[in-house]
Amino acid sequence: MTQPPYRWHSKITPWVFIIPTVIGLLVFRLIPIVSSLYLSFTDWNLLSSPVFINMENYQELLSSEDFLGIVLNTFQFSLIYVVGSIVCGLALAVLINVRIKGIAFFRSAIYLPVVTSAVAVGIIWNWMLGPTYGLVNNLIEAIGLTPPYWLGDTRLALNTVASVQVWKMSGYYMIIFLAGLQGINRDTLESARVDGANAFQSFFRITLPMLMPTLFFVLTITIIDSFKNFELIYAMTKGGPQNASNTLVYDVYLNAFVYYRVGYASAIAYILLIFVGLMTIFNFYIKKHLVQSLD
Amino acid sequence: MKKLLMVLVVLLTLGLLFAAGRTETKAETEAIELEWWTWDPDMLEQNQQIISAFEEANPGVKINNTIVGTKEYWTKIRIQANQNKLPDVFTMSSGYIEEWAKAGLLYNLDAFIESDDTFDNFYQSIFDSSREISNTDSYYAIPFALVTTVLYYNKDAFDAAGVAYPTDDWTWDDFRKAAKQLTLDKNGDGKTDQWGHWFYGRYAHIEPWVYANNGKLIDKNTMQFNPDKNAMDAIKMLCDLVLVDKVAPPQKDMTSFQQQDVFSQGVAAMWVDGSWFVDTLRKNVGDDMRWGIARVPSGPSGPSELTYGWPDSYAIAPNTKHPETAWKFAKYVAGEGISLDVYMAGKIPSAKKLAEDPLFADPSQQPGEEMNLLIEQANGPMTTSYTMGWSEWRGYGGSESLGLNGTIDAIINGHMGFDEAFKKGTENINAVLKRYYK
Repeated sequence: MTQPPYRWHSKITPWVFIIPTVIGLLVFRLIPIVSSLYLSFTDWNLLSSPVFINMENYQELLSSEDFLGIVLNTFQFSLIYVVGSIVCGLALAVLINVRIKGIAFFRSAIYLPVVTSAVAVGIIWNWMLGPTYGLVNNLIEAIGLTPPYWLGDTRLALNTVASVQVWKMSGYYMIIFLAGLQGINRDTLESARVDGANAFQSFFRITLPMLMPTLFFVLTITIIDSFKNFELIYAMTKGGPQNASNTLVYDVYLNAFVYYRVGYASAIAYILLIFVGLMTIFNFYIKKHLVQSLD
Repeated sequence: MKKLLMVLVVLLTLGLLFAAGRTETKAETEAIELEWWTWDPDMLEQNQQIISAFEEANPGVKINNTIVGTKEYWTKIRIQANQNKLPDVFTMSSGYIEEWAKAGLLYNLDAFIESDDTFDNFYQSIFDSSREISNTDSYYAIPFALVTTVLYYNKDAFDAAGVAYPTDDWTWDDFRKAAKQLTLDKNGDGKTDQWGHWFYGRYAHIEPWVYANNGKLIDKNTMQFNPDKNAMDAIKMLCDLVLVDKVAPPQKDMTSFQQQDVFSQGVAAMWVDGSWFVDTLRKNVGDDMRWGIARVPSGPSGPSELTYGWPDSYAIAPNTKHPETAWKFAKYVAGEGISLDVYMAGKIPSAKKLAEDPLFADPSQQPGEEMNLLIEQANGPMTTSYTMGWSEWRGYGGSESLGLNGTIDAIINGHMGFDEAFKKGTENINAVLKRYYK
């Protein structure tokens, strides 16, 4: 009568364990994703029932001058964020990858902005970048230069917000780079030094190539993160001046929750999804053809 | 046996999940229960007191108050409306009355108002203002307060510069002259430390001037944005304060301030905004600064007594099971049954007994006697620019940098010329309005 111990479970057992996750995934992710595809073909103000309007939302989007600007802003933000985060994250990681007294303090300090609320970060930077009383502009004036309007100038606002986002998040990528750096065999670096390589050469010839898998991991996640820029834009510029710092994510918020044009907002979200999808495919492609050959 | 146990576990898990999501079915009771939704979490205690008093006076009635945070309120209550589950009584904003009334989501109150003594206890002018905003011929809301717009001025700064306080007969020339005298570079570094006035494209900063010059932004016949000459003169005058007279800063100079702080920190000596900032100033400034309120000066096309003002209201669900009780409660909570200390200072009670209370213009608190200006405004003519899609074309809240707000900011920031900005702005605004008024 006794069964072997590995037979105690039946086919249903694994399902029992995954049911909570599956339900959560369906209710909070998959069903909304599919529904919003349908909604993107409707006119819906949340009050009445959605009205099917065919491709009208997409037609309106594609014929809108502002929308093209918003798409370009989204990519500009991403570019600054991805390049900035990787350069700053890596630079910080190299800087603190040393064993000196008190380094733990610096590691924590650099990580602190990551866990600070984006709204708080936005308010503080708004103060620091303020045109008349801001710390940054006062410093610039002190050395005799004319400071710009960081947030009030249509050409600068988006770059400023993206840079603050880089400042906020670099610590996070620093930790990942640090893990990668500490995984590099010190013997290799030492033998390079013995062979006469200077610090510059060892970094670009040894450290960086050996860090490639980490670098591509960071590249992937910075690209994904670069589209999540709502909070800081809300706290710092509200998309302004005149759409100068408006991005797809912020425009989804405006249309869905300020104008209550849920159908139109869903269409924007789907265009964003297409861009993110293309980026992901591009990423996989690079990883397949570049990273593996370096392993 | 184990299989059975597993099936039981699955059923139990599913059962629990569904039970958690299901709404509770209540046992049928004799008592009338009303759902009441409001949006200000600070009002919790006061709401409880109101409920206790109402329930005591009306045995058999039970009120359930749900307070939703201000930011989520409209999204949540829209979904309630969509699901046909609107609370019996709920807070309604003037900005949405037209859209909701036309969608059949507000109870038509005409029959109630005709058959009882509502206007013995409440100001009819405030109800009428709400009806006008609804763009219909019926009353759809019970206003509990009126908010207007006023000119705030810093008495300390006026005294220091030797400028007489604003009066009701101030012209725009008087105002500009005062603004010039109040614009000061106190430390001689070539930069202005105190501006005479300050504003940006915000609705409450601009429109009071438009109406004080008998202007109109919206053509009510076509429901298009078509500012008349008086309106454009008002906006031009304001822009010139920044661009020509240099007595007000461009919007981009003030990005590091919370908007209500510019005046209270003494950076600008005058400021036009909503009357509810009386409360904010009392709390933030205390006795550190002496300040007052005055009527926004009439323009050259005046004199105009037209005030930019609108009511904050309660509405009743069209499908409420207890319309009479809901009406009774809404009137009670709109003023009949409550005391003056429940009001945010600067909001004008729609209930006569509260507005006429001598403590409304409490002499021990700033701005003292000048608070009577608000009562005068409440008795005079009022107007607004509310339409469907207002927050989108006006540029409000999260869209503050866009719409008409963004247009005016672009002018005073020097990004665009006046005519160019208005040409582009008008096209965008009318594209929005055309979606709502086909």
